[in-house]
Amino acid sequence: MIRFENVSLEYTPGRFALHDVSFSQPAGAFTFLTGHSGAGKSSLLKLIARLEKPTAGFISIDTIDYDTLKPRHEPLLRQQMGIVFQDNQLLNDRSVFDNVALPLIIGGYRYNDIKKRVAAALERVGLASKAFELPIRLSGGEQQRVGIARAVVAKPKVLLADEPTGNLDAQISAEIMQLLMQFSASGVTVLVATHDQGLLETFDFPQLTLHGGKLVDIHNSSQATAHTQNTWQEQPSSQPAARESRIKRRQTSSRHGE
Amino acid sequence: MANRRTSETALTNASLAAGPKWTYTHRGYALAQSFRQLRQRKFASFITLMVFGISLALPAIILFSAGSLAKLGNHNIEQESLTVYLSMQVNDLDGASLAQQLLLREGIDRTSYVSRDEALAMFKEQSDIGDALAALGNNPLPGAIIVYPDVDMLGAVGLKQLANSLAMSPSIDRVQFDFRWVKRLQAVLSLARLVGWVLAGFLTLSALLVIGNTIRLELLRKQTELDVSRLLGAKRSFLVRPLVYTGALYGFLGGLVACVIALITISWIKTPADQLSGLYQSAFQLEMPTASQCFTVLLIATCLGVLGSIVSLARPSNHLLPFGTKPV
Ligand SMILES: Nc1ncnc2c1ncn2[C@@H]1O[C@H](COP(=O)(O)OP(=O)(O)OP(=O)(O)O)[C@@H](O)[C@H]1O
Ligand SMILES: [Mg+2]
Repeated sequence: MIRFENVSLEYTPGRFALHDVSFSQPAGAFTFLTGHSGAGKSSLLKLIARLEKPTAGFISIDTIDYDTLKPRHEPLLRQQMGIVFQDNQLLNDRSVFDNVALPLIIGGYRYNDIKKRVAAALERVGLASKAFELPIRLSGGEQQRVGIARAVVAKPKVLLADEPTGNLDAQISAEIMQLLMQFSASGVTVLVATHDQGLLETFDFPQLTLHGGKLVDIHNSSQATAHTQNTWQEQPSSQPAARESRIKRRQTSSRHGE
Repeated sequence: MANRRTSETALTNASLAAGPKWTYTHRGYALAQSFRQLRQRKFASFITLMVFGISLALPAIILFSAGSLAKLGNHNIEQESLTVYLSMQVNDLDGASLAQQLLLREGIDRTSYVSRDEALAMFKEQSDIGDALAALGNNPLPGAIIVYPDVDMLGAVGLKQLANSLAMSPSIDRVQFDFRWVKRLQAVLSLARLVGWVLAGFLTLSALLVIGNTIRLELLRKQTELDVSRLLGAKRSFLVRPLVYTGALYGFLGGLVACVIALITISWIKTPADQLSGLYQSAFQLEMPTASQCFTVLLIATCLGVLGSIVSLARPSNHLLPFGTKPV
């Protein structure tokens, strides 16, 4: 479970990239993070990945409390996370296989494990046949899938995706989404930042909506108020296997109770 | 079923074409990255290696010939001797026994007595006026003892002391030795040695800077890889190791270049140098470096490479710092 309590982030003092953000996302849930450009989506993901530190507030994942996390343990935290970026950040001096193998090498996996896992991850994103191509020889969608394979190859508990469908056409975006949903279905907590309105309409998942650094909405519906957000947040799910349908149900019921 | 088969195919593909096993460990990965860097940037690497190797060549030559040169200081004057002229009253028998007695003194390696007759014979042989001397009828030359000092007495100070103490003896008339020659040789040698070491020091420093600069550039070139690795949870040691290995590799290969240059240079100047020393009846010989000397140069060069990279990585870089720290 990802928990944010009154989290603020100022890159430059006085200018809030995120302001007093509170929410909790149950383990295994699939959630969209939306908002206009500059709303703070990437910043929020960076806070989770510990690429930035909040200037105020409290963040935790499962039992890991970010306040007491020692700097030397931060790399270990990141090893347990999958991160997918819009610009997929593949290394063009080595094969797709070696790109996907990198997190496993960093994690100190054994050679046989590495081969099996990379093969399995590439199989899963449908790129087994391109394992020994250079990433630049692949199409944009294929490259993005390599990025996803690299993010999931070490079987992370949390998958953060920042505009994973960035400049891909609708059909390929849908394929990428299917992939991410598969991981969610296998118990991975997935948080996808996107401003792709088409995706948000096609896939009916809970949404966290940011506006100017503030969390204004935590549901599909644009009518939801800040008050709803607080109600939802006060009773976070304690069940790790909670699925997005359950969150939705709960949100609906809490809204009914208003 | 079909799905499983593709999965297996992928697995076999992977095992067939994935890199060698050792490149998938932390150290192996770092080493493979360093080799890849050399391979991918052949020309730049070649230039760096040449600059490093040429810088280290002179220090290597000095190191290789240090043994020969150290000997040169003493060797060249090993055959040098003091000539002790006895007074005319001393007869051959006393002269010979004095030569024996001198042997007991400290600092004297061997002595040989030259009788008055022998002195005359030698003089006649070497000089045109020998016959004129013979015409004098009696031998005007005194007996002499040639004193060969111990090697460690061959410094100017030691010789002076020895000469003074010999001169005290009543039967000794005069002690002759060309101290200026020794002093001059030693001054030239110690100056040459100093200049050599200072030059070697500067060149070694410049080799160190070349490596440091190369590694710093390499750090910039690799920023994408470093940033991606950091995102994937790499610790600083993982990020830095390939760069340190690259430094070590440059050091080692540059050391090889330096050895080759030094070997070629020494074998070039060996013949003329030996001829020159032959002209001075010196036993000095420029020796070819031994395997262990080459090994020392390689070791030092590798250490320089590691040191250069560590020094250049000690300066903070945005691509090595933990996330969330203020950019430099
Ligand atoms: N490294 C940074 N230094 C200073 N300010 C930053 C930095 N990164 C982001 N910001 C600021 O923080 C605010 C939020 O940026 P963020 O990247 O989180 O937006 P976003 O929602 O991801 O936008 P987009 O959809 O365009 O990616 C912006 O006003 C941006 O200018
Ligand atoms: Mg963004």
